[in-house]
Amino acid sequence: MVDFSRVQKELQECNKDINVSGISVNPKSDNLSNLIGTITGPVGTPYEGGTFKIDIDLPGGYPFEPPKMKFATKVWHPNISSQSGAICLDILKDQWSPALTIKTALLSIQALLSAPAPDDPQDAVVAQQYLKDYQTFANTARYWTESFAKTSSAGVEEKVGKLAEMGFPEALVRTTLEAVGGDENLALEKLLSG
Amino acid sequence: MESVEYISSDDENELDYYSSDRDDSNDDALINDDDDDRSNWLPNKGSSSKVITKESLLAAQREDLRRVMELLSLREHHARTLLIHYRWDVETIFAVLVEKGKDRLFTEAGIPNPESHDPVSLVSTSTMMCDICMEDMPSCDMTKMDCGHCFCNTCWTEHFIVKINEGQSRRIRCMAHKCFAICDESVIRNLVSKRHPDLAEKFDRFLLESYIEDNKMVKWCPSTPHCGNAIRVEEDAFCEVECSCGNQFCFSCLCEAHSPCSCAMWQLWTKKCRDESETVNWITVHTKPCPKCHKPVEKNGGCNLVSCICGQAFCWLCGGATGRDHTWSSIAGHSCGRYKEDREKQSERAKRDLYRYMHYHNRYKAHTDSFKQESKLKETIQGKVAILEGKESQLRDFSWVTNGLYRLFRSRRALSYSYPFAFYMFGDELFNDEMTKEDLEIKQHLFEDQQQQLETNVEKLSKFIEEPFDSFTEDKIMEIRMQVINLSVITDNLCKKMYECIETDLLGSLQFGIHNIAPYHSKGIEKATELPVSWTAKQCAGDKRKRLEEPTTGGSSESDRPSGSGSSEETDFPAQKMARTDGFGGGMFDLNLPAEVIDRN
Ligand SMILES: [Zn+2]
Ligand SMILES: [Zn+2]
Ligand SMILES: [Zn+2]
Ligand SMILES: [Zn+2]
Ligand SMILES: [Zn+2]
Ligand SMILES: [Zn+2]
Ligand SMILES: [Zn+2]
Repeated sequence: MVDFSRVQKELQECNKDINVSGISVNPKSDNLSNLIGTITGPVGTPYEGGTFKIDIDLPGGYPFEPPKMKFATKVWHPNISSQSGAICLDILKDQWSPALTIKTALLSIQALLSAPAPDDPQDAVVAQQYLKDYQTFANTARYWTESFAKTSSAGVEEKVGKLAEMGFPEALVRTTLEAVGGDENLALEKLLSG
Repeated sequence: MESVEYISSDDENELDYYSSDRDDSNDDALINDDDDDRSNWLPNKGSSSKVITKESLLAAQREDLRRVMELLSLREHHARTLLIHYRWDVETIFAVLVEKGKDRLFTEAGIPNPESHDPVSLVSTSTMMCDICMEDMPSCDMTKMDCGHCFCNTCWTEHFIVKINEGQSRRIRCMAHKCFAICDESVIRNLVSKRHPDLAEKFDRFLLESYIEDNKMVKWCPSTPHCGNAIRVEEDAFCEVECSCGNQFCFSCLCEAHSPCSCAMWQLWTKKCRDESETVNWITVHTKPCPKCHKPVEKNGGCNLVSCICGQAFCWLCGGATGRDHTWSSIAGHSCGRYKEDREKQSERAKRDLYRYMHYHNRYKAHTDSFKQESKLKETIQGKVAILEGKESQLRDFSWVTNGLYRLFRSRRALSYSYPFAFYMFGDELFNDEMTKEDLEIKQHLFEDQQQQLETNVEKLSKFIEEPFDSFTEDKIMEIRMQVINLSVITDNLCKKMYECIETDLLGSLQFGIHNIAPYHSKGIEKATELPVSWTAKQCAGDKRKRLEEPTTGGSSESDRPSGSGSSEETDFPAQKMARTDGFGGGMFDLNLPAEVIDRN
């Protein structure tokens, strides 16, 4: 049985300093064992400007068993599955301690976005790319952030539409946008140069 | 003279005394005439391997615990935590102590403060906040662990229950993040038993069984159904042992005893024997798929044009569809290219491999079969001896018969396992890069020569043992007796030599592969002796085989007794409780039989 009184306290505690931490947690429904966490992409990383949603399932033994967390927002990162959003992080597994909280776990995930550990990958393809061709990795990660983690600013579809209207083939527009990390002007430059 | 209660250990004593008194170069197992069937077949003197039963499991770990407690002046639960962390290897603990010092030794094992006293519930009227449930709690409901971290009892209990259920009883860490301290077992036991007495018992059992699970010198007996015993060996883990349940096994890989085959070879061999791939191989050698209906077609006769029952004709060499118009050397309108050569080579290779395997397997199987046949001789032989003993005759001693039969088992066994050994030793699967072809060939001839000699003498021994000597004249019997004794000595020596050759000239010369085999013992696979249920320092220093009658006394205060409830009573069982050895194996012939034979009997 989940310790709901603790969860309740955790939620109150966490949402107090939302503006400072950029981290919030909210119940998915009335049921306190399914939550949605939100973290902002760390400044100075390809995830900057993105808002990432994380699905949180509290097992019956919480907090004596670790919460189950995975990205609901698609993200390109060596330790996060690009397919399922599964996260490879020790404190969510054997290094979990009941003294940790949902907020500290989300903070650790945020820290993971700034400091990937490609030697212990969740997504081998991404990890390979990170190690062998960092530039392409960063571009892809930025493009994914633009495409999936930004709701407010002009979406990718909009940019694709605009460039396609200029007469470039849509498929080419998409790959070019992806290659430059979603930057509309850079993409246009590249499309024009050849 | 010892009292009657010690009957079973007396037996062993007597035998030990007896055989160590002899020149035990070759044949002490051969010539001890004895009044007791069983001891006649007891091959080992004061075996170093021990059977650990459920009842003696506590006593088995006492010595290690005591050594560590005394050396480091530790309380028992800290000593156990240390031993569990260092996998019950006292030498490692001493080495770490010398190399890294006491502090590192303790912190690495999760003992932050070995001098600390029993953790007590804080006596105070104030309340404290528990960082786990985030509730204010009266201090008396909180427990501070050795590491200094303090949480409420409800949270500790919940944590312990989750960890025990996860199977982590042996290393339950403190709840604080990044604290590596191992929780005090008495706190765990106390708190958990209040809520879940069953689980507390499970916890105790897990702790006790750490001595088996986390210890490379102790392993569960692999018998099925499981006999409940574990075996402890001394020094060398590459050995073959027999549990008191009669099961013989290789201690290192837990399969049936298989020396002089190495564990790796034996694993490969059993897999190979099991694999369908050999039948697949046979099919590839002897058949080819029809290019039209894809059924395998067998070649009949020397002509390379074969035809399928579906009517399709095709070329045997390349498998390509053809017409029927052909001569011996060519098929009209058809010519095979390079493709054919590769295919042909491949199939040649498969054929060669298959024949090679069959060669070794046939011999291996022939000896295993003889072994099974011979193990049925037991009763016949006993019958013959009984007849002879009933006769008015000057011949009194017939131990040569049973000893000869025993030698036959032992040698037959070595012989049959020497075939899978040779299959891998001289094949190209394992040691391709180890030595030159020429080198290997020389060694192979040497080995096969020894194997051949052993084979010849084993067959001779078998022949004499099977003679109907109970109807012979005394002179004739004396002659057979001489033959059997001689052949016993010879086969024993040949086995010894073969093992030596394997250990030093063959496996010993490898540079890359590491293959160890269990050493050869003339007396056969060592029977592990049962550990006494109770244990004291005095007893250890004195005669190890003597069993103490009186229950353990002294030094068993609450904290000294590691595993609470159930086990403490078991500690006090008198020795007679364990006299299960006697019921086993139905007498003498349980020795040296592979599991499958025992199963069948
Ligand atoms: Zn608490
Ligand atoms: Zn601690
Ligand atoms: Zn057994
Ligand atoms: Zn083995
Ligand atoms: Zn056909
Ligand atoms: Zn023909
Ligand atoms: Zn052909």
